[in-house]
This record gives sequence, C-alpha cells and structure tokens, in this order.
Amino acid sequence: MNGLLLRVVGLLATLCLSSGTWAFDLDQLSARLATPEVVRGPFIQEKHLRALPQPLVSQGRFVLAKGHGLLWLLHSPIRQDYRIDDNGMAQRGAQGWQRLPQQSAAARQNRLFLAVLQGDSSGLQHDFELALSGTEDDWQLRLTPRSALLKQIFERIEIGGDALVRRIELRETQGDRTVLRLPDSQPGTDLNDAERADFAD
Amino acid sequence: MPTERLLPRLFLFGLLALLALAAWQWRHGLPLSTDLMELVPGAPRDALQQQAEQRMQEPLNRELLVLLGYPQREQATEAAQQLERRWQGSGAFESVQGSLQADLPALRRQLLDGRLALLGEDDRRQLIEQPQAFIQQRVQSLFDTFAGSRLLASDEDWFGLAERIQNHLQPQGALQVDLASGALLVEAEGLQWALVRARTRADAFDLDLPLQVEALVDAARRETEANGGRLLAASGLLHAAASQRQATREMSWIGGGAGLGAVLLLLLAFRRARVLLAILPVLGGLLGGAVACVALFGQIHVITLVLGGSLIGVAIDPPLHYLSKSWALRPWSAWGALRATLPGLALSLATNLIGYLALAFAPFPALKQIAVFSAAGLLTAFLCTLCLLPALFSRLDLRPGPAPLALAERAWNLRQRLLRRVPSTVLLALLLAFCVGGLWRLNLTHDLRQWVATSPQLLDEANTIARLTGQRPTSQFFLVRAADQQQLLERQARLSQRLDTLVADGQLGGYLALSQLVAPAAQQERLRQALDGQPGYWQPLLDLGVPREALERELETLRKLPVLDIPAALAGPLGEAWRPLWLGESDGGVAGLVSLQGLHDTNGLNALSEGLDGVRLVDRLGQLNRSFTAAQWTASELKLLSCALIVALLSVPFGLRGAVRVVTLPLLSAATALATLGWVGQPLTLFGLFGLLLVTAIGVDYAILMRERVGGAAVSLLGNALAAFTTWLSFGLLALSSTPAVSNFGLAVSLGLVFSFLLAPWAGAGHRRATGGAQ
Repeated sequence: MNGLLLRVVGLLATLCLSSGTWAFDLDQLSARLATPEVVRGPFIQEKHLRALPQPLVSQGRFVLAKGHGLLWLLHSPIRQDYRIDDNGMAQRGAQGWQRLPQQSAAARQNRLFLAVLQGDSSGLQHDFELALSGTEDDWQLRLTPRSALLKQIFERIEIGGDALVRRIELRETQGDRTVLRLPDSQPGTDLNDAERADFAD
Repeated sequence: MPTERLLPRLFLFGLLALLALAAWQWRHGLPLSTDLMELVPGAPRDALQQQAEQRMQEPLNRELLVLLGYPQREQATEAAQQLERRWQGSGAFESVQGSLQADLPALRRQLLDGRLALLGEDDRRQLIEQPQAFIQQRVQSLFDTFAGSRLLASDEDWFGLAERIQNHLQPQGALQVDLASGALLVEAEGLQWALVRARTRADAFDLDLPLQVEALVDAARRETEANGGRLLAASGLLHAAASQRQATREMSWIGGGAGLGAVLLLLLAFRRARVLLAILPVLGGLLGGAVACVALFGQIHVITLVLGGSLIGVAIDPPLHYLSKSWALRPWSAWGALRATLPGLALSLATNLIGYLALAFAPFPALKQIAVFSAAGLLTAFLCTLCLLPALFSRLDLRPGPAPLALAERAWNLRQRLLRRVPSTVLLALLLAFCVGGLWRLNLTHDLRQWVATSPQLLDEANTIARLTGQRPTSQFFLVRAADQQQLLERQARLSQRLDTLVADGQLGGYLALSQLVAPAAQQERLRQALDGQPGYWQPLLDLGVPREALERELETLRKLPVLDIPAALAGPLGEAWRPLWLGESDGGVAGLVSLQGLHDTNGLNALSEGLDGVRLVDRLGQLNRSFTAAQWTASELKLLSCALIVALLSVPFGLRGAVRVVTLPLLSAATALATLGWVGQPLTLFGLFGLLLVTAIGVDYAILMRERVGGAAVSLLGNALAAFTTWLSFGLLALSSTPAVSNFGLAVSLGLVFSFLLAPWAGAGHRRATGGAQ
C-alpha cells in the first residue's frame, strides 16, 4: 500500500538524520530530524511477486527536501517521476507535472507523509507497533499493523540501516513483497537548480 | 323562552363531544407535521416517479451526518468511535457508522469475479482497441512505487484488471479512510475531522424523533466543545426539529399576543370581568379548527398552526360586535342584543366562510388545511357566540364607558368634515393613482424556500459539511426507463457521456449512474471475445519473466467468469454507493436513477435528456416553483368567484347595487394593500396573494356593518374598530414570523384589513342617513 510506503519513507527521513548517539530510541531519532536540509541518493526497488522466481528490479533516484517535499524518479527499466508536496501528489507527463486527483488511492496519505517528514512520527505509531532492535550502526525497526483492517493488507514492514536508512521491506498479506534499498543516500544542504525547478512548477 | 334554555344545553353537549373527539385524536400527542412536501401539490400520478422521489428523499429525512473536528487525528477517531457506541445505545437510530469496517475478503471476491463485468468503459475500450497500450500500462503499474493498494496478488490478476476497477469505482469526495481505526477522515481548517453517519429508525411516524435527534446532537456538541473539539451536523431531521420548535414558539406568542390584546380590549371597553367569557368562542374556535383538520387530514402542519393562530383575531369578532351594541341598546340585554345583531353576524359568517372555503379549492394542500382549520374554527366560534354567550351574559349589566364612543363620534365627525372639503371622487382618484403606482412596482416571487424559516446556523453547518466531504447532493436527478437491463445500462451510459462534459466544464461536481458500476451484458460478452486476441501482445509481460502458462491460465479463468447483471453487481461491497439507484423491474420494464452532485446551474439540465429515449429529468423543486406561478391564476380566479358569490349573497338584503358597492370596497382595499407592498419594496408571495383572498371576505364584514349601522354610524364604527383591532393584532403578529411565507401572508392581510376598515364607511353612503350618535 503506497500510502504506507510513503510514510515509511518519511519516517526514514527522520531516522536518517539522527546521527547515532548512545541512547538509541525513536524519540531521540525523531528529535534529530531538523539537521540536514536535503537527503538524496539512488534507490533500487525489488518487487518479489509470489508467482515469479526472480524479482522485478527497477532503479532511480530520490530527493527529500525540507519545506519542499519528495522527488521520486524511477529511471529504469521505465521512467516514472513522482513528486509529493503539501499540495498533493503529481506525476510527470508529456506536459510537465500533472497533479493526480486527490481521491486517487495513490494521493491519499501524502499529507500525512509530509507531517511525518516534518518530525511527527506519531502518525506511524498510531497505525503500527514499532519495535527497534540492534545497535546504532546496524539497527532494525519492525512495524506490525495494529488494526484488523491493516492486517488484512500488510503482514509487516521492516526497516534497517546504520547512520542512514539502507533498506525497507514491505510484506503484503497476499504474498507479494517489495524491497527498497537506499545504498548511498547523502545528506546535503541545498537543492541544485534542476531539483529546484522540479519542486517549483 | 324554551330556545333560550335549550340552545345552551344542546351546545354544551356538542362542545363536550368535540372535546372527547379531540382527546381521542391527541391520544398519542398532537399530530403535528413538519414535512414541507405534504403542503405542496402532489406529484404527477406516476408510481415509478413517486418511488424514485421517495428513494432520493429518504436519506434526507432519515440520515444524520456528523463531523467531529480535533487537532489530533487520534482524538477525532476516538471521539467518532465513542459517539458511535453511545448513539447505538440511544434507541433513536437504526444504524450508526463511525468507521468503515471494510469486509476485505468479500471485496476481493467481488473484484475477482467481476473483473470483466465491472471494468470501466474507458478501460474496456482500451483492452479491446489498444491491447498493446493496455499491457504496457500493466507493466508500468507493476514497477510503480505508488500505484495504489493492491487487494489481489499479482498472480491472481496478471492483467491488473482489479486495480483498474478499484481506481475507476473510487468513491468521490475528500474523505480518507484511516487505516488504523477505519474512521473516515478529512483534514481541513487545521483540524482532523472524523465522519459519523447515523440513520434513524424507519418506523418514524414519531413526532418526537426530530427533537430527540436534536437533543442527542446538542449533547454531543457540548461534550465535543468541552473537549476542545468542534462538531458539525447536517440532517433534514435537525431542520424539522428547528421548525417544529419555531412554530410552537411563534404559535405561542402570536396566540398569546392576540389573546392578551383581546382580553385587554374587552376589559378596557366594557369594564366588566365577566365579558372575558367572550374569549370562550375563540377557544372553541381553535378547538373546532384543530379537530376538523386532524379529522380530514390526519394531522396538522406547523404552518397551519402558525397561520391558524391568527384565527383568534377573527373569531373574537362576533362576540365583539355583539357586545359593542351595548353603547346603543340601553338597557343592553343578552338575548335582545343577539336578536339585533344576528342578521349582520350571520351575513358576516357567510362571507367569511366563502372567503376561507375559496382557499380550500386552491390546488395547495397547505391552503386547504388552513381553509378547513379556519372555516371550522369560525363556525364553532359563531355557534359558541350564538348559543352560549347570551346564557352566560344573561344577568350581565353592561354599561360601557362613554369615552370610546365619544372617540368614535369625533372620528366620524372628522371624516364628515374632511368629506365636505374634499369630495369622495377626488379621494378615489388619489387612491387609484396610489394603487397604479404601487402595483407597477410590485415584485412577485414564488419559491418553496420561502415556506421554511431555515436557521442560518443549520444551513451554514450543512454547507461546511458539504465543502469538507465534497458531497453536495442535488435535488434534481434523472429517471431512466428501459425494456431490459441491457438497454437501461446503455441509456445511462449515453446520459453519462453528456454529464461527463458538464463535469469537465466544472458545472457539475459528479454523478452516480449504474452504468459506471457494471457493463451491459453485450459489452461483457464483447470483452470476453476480445480476450482471444490478447496473447499476441503479451511480450512485455513475458520479458519481465512472467511465465506464459500463468498468463494462459489467467485467460482461461477470465473466459469462464459469469456475466453479471445489475442486482449481482450491487450485491457486493463495491456496489454500495449505487444501490439506491436501482428501482428494479416494473410495468414490464426496468428503471434506474442517475443522481447528481455539486450542481452549479440547474438551467441546462432539461436539455441534457433531450433526444435520449426513456430519460427524464425529475426536478421537483423547479416543478413546484413553476406550479406556484400557475397557482397565481387559480388564486385570481378563486378571488373573482368568491366575490361573485358574496355579491349574490349580499344582493338579497342590499340589492345588487348595494352588494356590488359593499364588495368593491374590500377589493379596493386588497388592491391598495398590494400597492403598499409595492411601494415599500416587499415582494408578494403566493401566500400573500391567497391572504388577500381573505381580505375580501373579512373586509366585507366591516362594510356590511357600516352599511347596516345598527345603533348608528359611530357605534358601528366603534364595533368595527374593536373587531379590527384584534384582527390586526393577530395578523400583524404573523408578519413578525421568521418564515418568509407566513410573514408575507400576515403583512398582506393586516394591510388589507387596515384599508378595509378605512374604506368601510363608504359602504353606507347614500343608503341611510348617518345618525351620528347614540339614540
């Protein structure tokens, strides 16, 4: 479910920014959100469909910028560019960015996602049991759905990383599984011109 | 004299019977109705259209929408759950829904089985005409990070049909499902709003239900605000409760005001406590009116009750005329005065009844009720005056003070002096000029909305809810008939194409049609045949590693899927929103509705159904407002007819010339009242127009009494003034009502009566020499 995925990515944003002190708990991680203006890097998405022996692999880049939102740019094997900001969700088409209808399932939870992005992880805790394990250099966060409704869709979500988030795994109840890997995310201070343009229009 | 003993006893017996009947009628409480639709002309006698209207009306009468707004989402969802639990135990509701407990297994099953039948028209066309693009889009959605929730695993639905169906049947509006609680949420104005929907019991011939629902909402509102939240509520029930309370309140102060005025007048004029018994005919009149109304209509509408309150002013007239003869008849005797005034009173009663009963022939149930209420009330009041009062006043020594009479004499002399300086013809010319000018400016408005006093707060909340949820149902809808389901769906689809252009232009928010949910059987079959050509376009999927056998198995499953008809599609969870639209089979055909949302302009709607067989726009509100215009003519015809009747009646005592003169005066008064409305910039509503019908009838009284001049001109003038005062008071109080139609009615009638009073002295000019004082 994409809305959740968005939230997970959002939470990651908060987690990414926590630079690993001794007391490794969620509150402190969330509190450290404010530091970098921008996080960017490549992503690799693996969709493990239960009937296929090998996953569907795709690659792209993401940019997460405070006060702007998220750019999610899939490069191969096909091109799909998404932008999520305060106004909702947009997809890049032939005529530039096109806003997706608010009621479309895909656009539903983006506002919440942005709330999480701004350091409000309570939304995620509302829907999931959060269990943190491991060390600050190799941690695992397991999200288990609380409600019966969610359990019918999701089995669980697992997030792992070190100083930054490296891996997200989404297990759907009907058997499909999505793994997102963010091997080389970097904190930054400013958007470049192209990114600024993408957020601008 | 035996009749003087017999009459009061007979009457008391009748009164007791009336009381017993009233007690039996009110055994379950006062049968009060607030349903506006009961007041307007009935729908065309088309059973199907009536069924359709009921179907569309039902949610308005039974549903309650509540939005609970809190700063935090958890607060809102928790409050919604609490409210749900509490209201479920309240006994007022059949169901209360604070969260969406989606039955996902049932949803999956319906998606699996309906993959061909439920596929939207655009997707169907793409699959048939552009299979390559169809497969390409499927590949993209498999890679899409944000493609939307997938209820089916990829290998249950390799071609992604279920996903397309889900996107296509996405409910309209801004509400989002909270995944944790299932609550329906929307974020606005810095708050998180959770929706609670409640539906009242169906067996709701319960007049307390609106008030009960209102009390529940008020309690919930207080609690929500105490917890730092906000509550918005919208329901037809709340409007019903508000108008019920408002009517009771207005009825009390209009009735109370008029009653108090009558009491004060009686005491001041006659200076005897016993004359207060003259109120008895009024009470008897109200009772008689209510009993007759319930007996004929089964209930009383609040508008009747409010307008009926003005009956007090009219019903007190006979006793006042009767008592006012005490200035002329010395010594006054109860039966003697009655004998002297009876012919005049009987004549007034007859003209009043003609006036009220003319209303009964108006094609408006509202006016019928008011006519029946008033006519029965007047008759009871008259009988009461005739049979009871003389017995009660038999030993009354009535010696009214000379001051009122002196005042009347002075007024009369003033009038005489004025007439010596300015002749009547000049006054008439001036009056006619005033009338022409005023009528020129008069502005007619007919709108059902004038019939209700909508509380601005309720309206405001309903608008806010509509804005927040994005759901703004309109009262207009389309009724589509066809020979069979196939044809029905095709006809709805053709109408939908036209509606789509309106949606694209922003003139329409959206619509619901059965053709959105399920494809006609022939289209389902065509889609099935098109599947045969699919394997040639599978390469992109095969490139991803999807085994060919899996796709072939999938194709085989799809081929075997059953053809779904409308009831089957509606049965599953996806069909919920469309269920009210299906009217089923009737008259050897089938019928279904197309409902509209967020309509900005109703003008172009009629054109939409042009050229589409079996499609009809149902616009009850527009139709009603048009029928109001037609009713104007009925009103004018009735007015002429009642005037003719009154002239015929009056020509017996007065001769034709005299009768015409007596009737012309109130007609002129009505015209002057209309002109005054025009000059002061007040519109004339249908109710006001019918009110002027009454002016003719009541105003004729004044003219008759001035022409009869029992006891002299000044005494008659005084009697008229006393009677007119109470009548003005009660109709004048109506003018303060917050229901525009009632207020306009009150204003028109009281203005008309003022002029009737002023013009009445001309009724007798030349008939008998003015005696100018008591004998």
